[in-house]
Amino acid sequence: MADRRPIYLMSPALAWLTAFMVVPCLLILVLGFFRRGIYGGIEYTFTLENMALVFDPLYAGIFLKSAVIAGLAASIAVVIGYAAAYAIASMPARRQPILLFFAVLPFWSNYLVRTYAWIVLLNREGLIVALARYLGFEGELPSMLYTESAVVVGLVYNYLPFVILACYAPLSRLNTEIVEASRDLGASGWTTFRRITLPMTVPGIATGFVFVFVLSIGNFVTPALLGGGQFQMIGNLVYAQFLTANDWPFGAALSMVLIAIMMGLLTLQTFATERASGARRVEG
Amino acid sequence: MSKALLSIRDTSKHFGTVRAVDEISLDIMENEFFALLGASGSGKTTLLRLLGGFEFPDSGSILLDGEDISRIPPNHRPINLMFQSYALFPHMSVAQNIAYGLEMEKLPRPEIDARVNEVLDIIQLSGLAQRKPDQLSGGQRQRVALARALVKRPRLLLLDEPLGALDKKLRSEMQLELKRIQDKFGITFIVVTHDQEEALVMADRIAILKDGQLLQCGSPHEIYEHPQTRYAAGFIGTMNFFPVHLSGKTLVMDDGGRISAAIPEGLTEGSEAVAAVRPERLHLAHKAYKNKLTGRISAIAYHGLDLQLHIEAAASPQPVMVRLTADEAEGQPLSIGDDVTVGWSAENTRVFRD
Repeated sequence: MADRRPIYLMSPALAWLTAFMVVPCLLILVLGFFRRGIYGGIEYTFTLENMALVFDPLYAGIFLKSAVIAGLAASIAVVIGYAAAYAIASMPARRQPILLFFAVLPFWSNYLVRTYAWIVLLNREGLIVALARYLGFEGELPSMLYTESAVVVGLVYNYLPFVILACYAPLSRLNTEIVEASRDLGASGWTTFRRITLPMTVPGIATGFVFVFVLSIGNFVTPALLGGGQFQMIGNLVYAQFLTANDWPFGAALSMVLIAIMMGLLTLQTFATERASGARRVEG
Repeated sequence: MSKALLSIRDTSKHFGTVRAVDEISLDIMENEFFALLGASGSGKTTLLRLLGGFEFPDSGSILLDGEDISRIPPNHRPINLMFQSYALFPHMSVAQNIAYGLEMEKLPRPEIDARVNEVLDIIQLSGLAQRKPDQLSGGQRQRVALARALVKRPRLLLLDEPLGALDKKLRSEMQLELKRIQDKFGITFIVVTHDQEEALVMADRIAILKDGQLLQCGSPHEIYEHPQTRYAAGFIGTMNFFPVHLSGKTLVMDDGGRISAAIPEGLTEGSEAVAAVRPERLHLAHKAYKNKLTGRISAIAYHGLDLQLHIEAAASPQPVMVRLTADEAEGQPLSIGDDVTVGWSAENTRVFRD
């Protein structure tokens, strides 16, 4: 007879997730197919209008823009994070834990506080402008705060530690003999990186990218603070539908599409990780 | 004698205060199958890494065909290394793994394919060319690693514990297989191993390393029959050691028995030494031999081909091992507790100062 203990051990977590994750998601799903009441309530008649509205050029455009910003943030974070992880993994083994500790140190402070810090840095009288003036820059400085770039910078900054951790894992597990074998067979350092190290660490890159992308595309705090309401991302739109416009069914429909995009990406990432998983079995 | 392909000259490599390789000098000949033999920590792997270019020596030089290569990076040396872990690229097929080194030489595709197929044929893995390394058995992976290094036709092939990961039966098959392949390709092999039997079977010459130093270098026969140090004597094969001291001009064992043997230079009256004799050199028919010891049989191990006796004797702190061939054992009713005398000749006795 199979050991049943795993089920008992998992049941609190399962119950929690069912009550506070699965059920709300189902409610949102159902809500998306109802009509909005004239005074903001919900009219319980079936309609596809909300779903159709999501794909209206106006809203589809916001989806697209959110995806571009999230994609940009994820790409930049992966480049910076992979380089950092590579450097950490190349250090002597005893120094690596302390470096990883520094990498995740920002998580010890609040997300809002960290984002506000960027306002202090980027604003018209901020530190970066002051530094430029100090260095003798006279001309008119382009506005840095309340731009798309500021949002991207904020997202990259906040999620970079995730990428470093995600990329560090496969890099630190990489058997050094495999890298040496490539050099031994005549490959330069760069060719070895391109043909051996990089392909073998794709799972970490995929995980890091999807992580940042998923967290960014639905984010509403960073665009609100650093974007200054100049433009909306999907997260802000959903927020507005539920809390300002009082159009819960449309907000629900937007959320469903967002969740579908995220799930699609997570599936792709799992697939990529599994494809490269042979990369880790041969070490011993 | 053919000319030296590789000359290692007074080469040293330190890690902190550890002298991993300590002033080693060695010449390795063209087409030789050479074994670096030593326990872990003897410096054999560091020496191999110096030859491969993964470490640079602190002093001394390494000449290949008369040219100093000691500071050339691994990708510019006509030397290939087969790693202990095999280090196959897990995301590439067998054929891609083998082709990798040829792609680095920028050879035309048809030539790469032809050479990959040729070497796959030799290692008898043609049917598995499209497999990934994790779909292969240990023995198959070992062959792929060998093929990947051989296909580049290096001047020198280094093998780090090539058979270490294989089970016993496969290991003895591969020992002969490696010799066959070496012969076929006509490439000089340097094998690092801690397994003395492996070294004896495969190598033309063996170098014994200890604590980063070269103890002895010679043919398997020389190393086995004429060890120059007590360590080498004990490291290769089984050896009986009898404590002796010099009294007048003869050696006296702890049981008072006198033995004759070549006395090492510098051994003075009364000083301690050990006499070493191989188990197969001890004979129950002792009448013909000058050197003798007596003891009581404490164990009998039957191995089929031969019989091994353990004898408790006053002359030796450890049980004396005696190996009898089937012929010798025939007609000798031996049982545990019997008193026996064994004899051996002076020529088969080595004496080492402690």
